[in-house]
Amino acid sequence: MGPLDAGLDFYSAVLGLRGARQGLLSADIANASTPGFKAVDLDFREALTATLTQGTLTPEAPSDLLLLVDDSDGAAIARNGAGDGDPLVAAHRSVKYQVGGSVTLDGNSVDLNYEKLAAAENALDYEAAANFTSQMVNMMMTAIKGSAGSGRSS
Amino acid sequence: MSLFSVFSISGSGMLAESQRLAAVASNLANANSVGDAQGQPYRAREVVFQAVAPEDGDGDGAASIGMAGVRVAGVVTSSEPARSAYDPGSKFANADGYVQMPNVNPVDEMVNMISAQQNYQADLEAFNVAKTLLQKTLAI
Repeated sequence: MGPLDAGLDFYSAVLGLRGARQGLLSADIANASTPGFKAVDLDFREALTATLTQGTLTPEAPSDLLLLVDDSDGAAIARNGAGDGDPLVAAHRSVKYQVGGSVTLDGNSVDLNYEKLAAAENALDYEAAANFTSQMVNMMMTAIKGSAGSGRSS
Repeated sequence: MSLFSVFSISGSGMLAESQRLAAVASNLANANSVGDAQGQPYRAREVVFQAVAPEDGDGDGAASIGMAGVRVAGVVTSSEPARSAYDPGSKFANADGYVQMPNVNPVDEMVNMISAQQNYQADLEAFNVAKTLLQKTLAI
């Protein structure tokens, strides 16, 4: 990372994790009626810290990943994740079950209202990060071109 | 890019909910079907959902952090007891003049329908949000 794109590294991590959280919330919503499904969420602060300090770390205990009801499916998930160099893998330990909510008689713990709220909030944060990234790129372009007007050459 | 996996996850949710809605429609349509081809009354059907890991086609590790789609694992017939109605004129009536009616419970079906509708809308919302976010990303 050179001085020009050092700041982009941070936003790359933020956008990746926000996208990952969006995926988790969507999965919760899709499984709002699946018997035995337990809702999960990403602890963003912890995940970002882990990604920034540890980089691409491979998971130590794949058992942390077994979020599905079926054991055979869980094994498939752990296999998919092994040895992946994606920054998401470093944050996998920050994926946690949602606790404190109500669980229905069929063992489902998805609260649709919470999921929608969290998804909307997360989408807003994603947009903010995307805007900041865009501004950073503009800033660099201004620095390169040396004119106040962005991208306009005289 | 895990945002792309939202499309397959929410898509699987919408497919599953529409199959649930189809089961509800079938049950309501057959609420009074006393005889099928074997002369048996119609039995209410219910779909069973199951969480599945999406195919990690692009190898982005989305599946590794536990994102799960949903699929219809099977269709079970309801075990509720069948109603019986007194109709001696029917050709399906037994010796006492009672006809075995389907065990469809219209209240259950309505509740199921509303639940399926809400979940479908939530899936669609998640799908649209992911689409908007990807468009924002393209505009960086």
